Amino acid sequence: MRTLIISLCMLGTLTTPSFSAEQSLANPRTIKFPELNFQIPKAERVVLECGMPVYLLRDTELPIINLTAMVRVGSVYEPAAKSGLASMVGSVMRSGGAGGIAPEKMDDELEFMASAVESAIGSDMGTVSLATLKKNLGPTLQTFRDVLLLPDFKEKRLEIARSQVVEALRRQNDDPKEIAGREVGRAIYAGHPLGDITTFESVSSITRQDLVDFHQRYFRLDNMILAVSGDFEQAALIKELNSIFKPVKYSSIIELPQVAQPKQLFQGEVLYGKKDVNQTVIRMGHLGLTKEAPDIYAVRLLDYILGGSFTSRLTMEIRTNQGLAYSVGSHFDIGRRFTGSFVAETETKAESTAKTINLMKKIITELTKEPVSDAELSAAREYMINSFMFGFTSPSSIVNQRARLEYYGYPDGYLEKYRDNIAKVTKKDILSAALKYLHTDAFKLVVIGDSTKFDQPLSTFGTVRELDLKLNIPKPQ
Amino acid sequence: MKQLLTAVIILTALTTQLHAATLEEKVVEHKMKNGMKLLLVERHTSPTVSAWIRFRVGSVDERSDERGIAHLLEHMLFKGTTTLGTKDFAAEKPLLDKIEEIAQALTVEKARHDKADVAKITGLEKQLASLEADASKYVIKDEFFELYSKNGGTGYNAFTSRDGTTYLISLPANKLELWAAIESDRLQNAVLREFYTERSVVMEERRRSYDADPESKLWETFVASSFLAHSYGQPTIGWMSDIENLTRTKAEQFFHSYYAPNNAIVAIVGDIDTKATIDMVERYFGAIKPGKEPPPVTTIEPKQSGERRIELVAEAEPTVIMGFHKPAIASPDDYVFDVINMILGSGRTSRFYKKLVIEKQVASDIGAFDAPGHRYPSMFVISANPRSPHTAREVEEAVQTELDLLKTVPVAKRDLQRILNKIEYEEARRMGTNGGLARNLTEYEATAGSWLYMTEHKSHIAKIVPEDIMRVAATYFTKENRTVGFITKKAGDK
Repeated sequence: MRTLIISLCMLGTLTTPSFSAEQSLANPRTIKFPELNFQIPKAERVVLECGMPVYLLRDTELPIINLTAMVRVGSVYEPAAKSGLASMVGSVMRSGGAGGIAPEKMDDELEFMASAVESAIGSDMGTVSLATLKKNLGPTLQTFRDVLLLPDFKEKRLEIARSQVVEALRRQNDDPKEIAGREVGRAIYAGHPLGDITTFESVSSITRQDLVDFHQRYFRLDNMILAVSGDFEQAALIKELNSIFKPVKYSSIIELPQVAQPKQLFQGEVLYGKKDVNQTVIRMGHLGLTKEAPDIYAVRLLDYILGGSFTSRLTMEIRTNQGLAYSVGSHFDIGRRFTGSFVAETETKAESTAKTINLMKKIITELTKEPVSDAELSAAREYMINSFMFGFTSPSSIVNQRARLEYYGYPDGYLEKYRDNIAKVTKKDILSAALKYLHTDAFKLVVIGDSTKFDQPLSTFGTVRELDLKLNIPKPQ
Repeated sequence: MKQLLTAVIILTALTTQLHAATLEEKVVEHKMKNGMKLLLVERHTSPTVSAWIRFRVGSVDERSDERGIAHLLEHMLFKGTTTLGTKDFAAEKPLLDKIEEIAQALTVEKARHDKADVAKITGLEKQLASLEADASKYVIKDEFFELYSKNGGTGYNAFTSRDGTTYLISLPANKLELWAAIESDRLQNAVLREFYTERSVVMEERRRSYDADPESKLWETFVASSFLAHSYGQPTIGWMSDIENLTRTKAEQFFHSYYAPNNAIVAIVGDIDTKATIDMVERYFGAIKPGKEPPPVTTIEPKQSGERRIELVAEAEPTVIMGFHKPAIASPDDYVFDVINMILGSGRTSRFYKKLVIEKQVASDIGAFDAPGHRYPSMFVISANPRSPHTAREVEEAVQTELDLLKTVPVAKRDLQRILNKIEYEEARRMGTNGGLARNLTEYEATAGSWLYMTEHKSHIAKIVPEDIMRVAATYFTKENRTVGFITKKAGDK
């Protein structure tokens, strides 16, 4: 093997080429490019006989088909006492057998075809997805339908899933970054389903009947959207989809529970978790905005300038200029259904903890005091407009995006107008957005590390509440 | 050029391909006179292109006094050139020289630890800070990044492994020339400015990725204990004291030894015209002189002759890693290991998952992989989380039972067929993204000697019979050849 590499390399040591360097080599600062007029690819929308919308994009480059069902369900609909239910439904739909086919048999049949069917439920969306070679679409699609609509939730598989959640809970305080991420989310969304976390108690209380009921309530043909891409024949596929998703007469129209928006209580808090490590994990943030806010484009540019790029203010100062961190940044997660969040984050050696927290707050505050520079605004704008096409690089990303826009109820023309909306944002808009959405006094500050090595006591930042990182596993009854 | 691009786009929109082309039909190989290897694939799915440059140098090539330099150099190569990243290099240069002189003196003094002259250190630190402040007046921070991103570039990054160092970017297809202009300049005229600040960044990276993360810390300790002689054992990021003693001078030496066109593999995948792209790359890179052929690592890891057990006490739940020495990529037994890996560790039908997670329920999750490298003899590794109340020891025994079973019971035909079916799917899928394909082309060209490794892989796997698996299992899965690493939870933690 090694001789092969050497002989290949030897080929390289030939003569020096006498290439003329006189030919025009462009200066990267002033280089001009041929024009490229990017057209947003479209996906076709078809409605099945049962009423289910399907987004389709045919592409024959690879002999593969991808299909995803997006279901209006989420962990926000589970009772707090049963936290973990939605996620477990998502996992046992696939692992617990379906349509009367035993789990082992389903695994064997799918993997023998190199096909995959997977399911999951997140905070505000459930998905069941399929990936298969074109030639195996028929049988894979049957299994996809069974997992989506007819899961068996075998008791034994439920117990395995439960024991895996319990094991993950036992491990939830092993990695300081994981602790900090969880705790900042809990603090920001305290009192809202998005702030609930799964506990030993909640996961123990979940029964098979809970899974069955939860599934039955939400996994209905009138509560989902399909997205399909790849090497299919459209007429044949639609025919097949119509035959496996025959119209169903439901006794009542679907009613999704009303979940209130989280309360905008801007109140600062300092949370500390003790870990015996040489580097401190820092997270700080509060609630943000939803996609309905008129200033989301200003927020996107603000986000890029503050902490969303390698040349952002946070990275430039804390990493590049001061060498205080490897990873530093901030992010406005613009809420699609519920108010989103703003979180700034980094990790720094224990001895520079307070210094770094102060720097981050200072950099964030500065954005609320003065407009960004022309150069910052144009760099952010140009990046967002010129890189826009990377949202459309594969057929599956194109159809999934279209289906997601409908799922979350984005306005018509959202994608088509996106670049123009970004181009319109002014420095003044960004300053107003910063004033409206950034409140350093209201930060939930989460610090995980060894406070005995910090450069200043955490109490400098407010009254400290210490997190209980013991597992507190309840005794078996 | 503009018309050409439009024409290409219209063409692809109208034509329906009759059959999906194979990878062999799609890849165009071009070797430049200076030794640089180009691998090009036209894909017109979107008007974008990914460009990856892989240098055949990784941490395996480092001497013991320069551990961590391949990775730190990778960071430094984002800092600009004699014309980019600077307002006036002629004025900046003397300051950079002075910084290096002071920083070296400071590094030497600090390395004296308890015997160091504290006053001298304080003085040198002050001097260094003031020089760095002066020099920074000439710096245009992260100009490469700024140029790429305002032109819509995404995923601008680099990574260093034991085997190699790779620089990558995706661009709108009409802007590939920007890549050629920047990267050819970087290869010839890199300036490692802001070195000592970046060294601190890498120390933070080390704390973040290893020191403060128990599983990664176990991994680092496990690999270091598995290789006594071969440099695969040393962590790519370097030990903390290694990083503390790296200097810009060492990084420059390393750069000049290894970064030459004859040591580079370039993959460009996406919406390109192959011929025009070759011409452009020739124009920008063709005049760069080849360097000396870097020497291979000659150290051979002595045969392990007894089990090694590595314990890490940490504030974390138990984890177990088991490793067995195995040959390098593309050696005959390595293909058998690929089959074994898929039988044991791939998917819900894998033996580890079925036995340890579903049946015995001793583990909550388990995986198998090759590490820490591919170019040289490496390890077959199994990593698992025991499920309480089961112990690391029970998991270890259950894993060994499965390994032993491979020695005596022939693998069923259906299992081997499932693997071939899976490879057929993977062969199709991996052509589906520009970046993924560029990654695989550069990776296999560098580690296996040719990207054709990918297209020939299935035929090697198809030849494997159950007896090969029994022989390989019996040869390698022995106690003598085994290293076990595990986390024991610190006493008092509940």
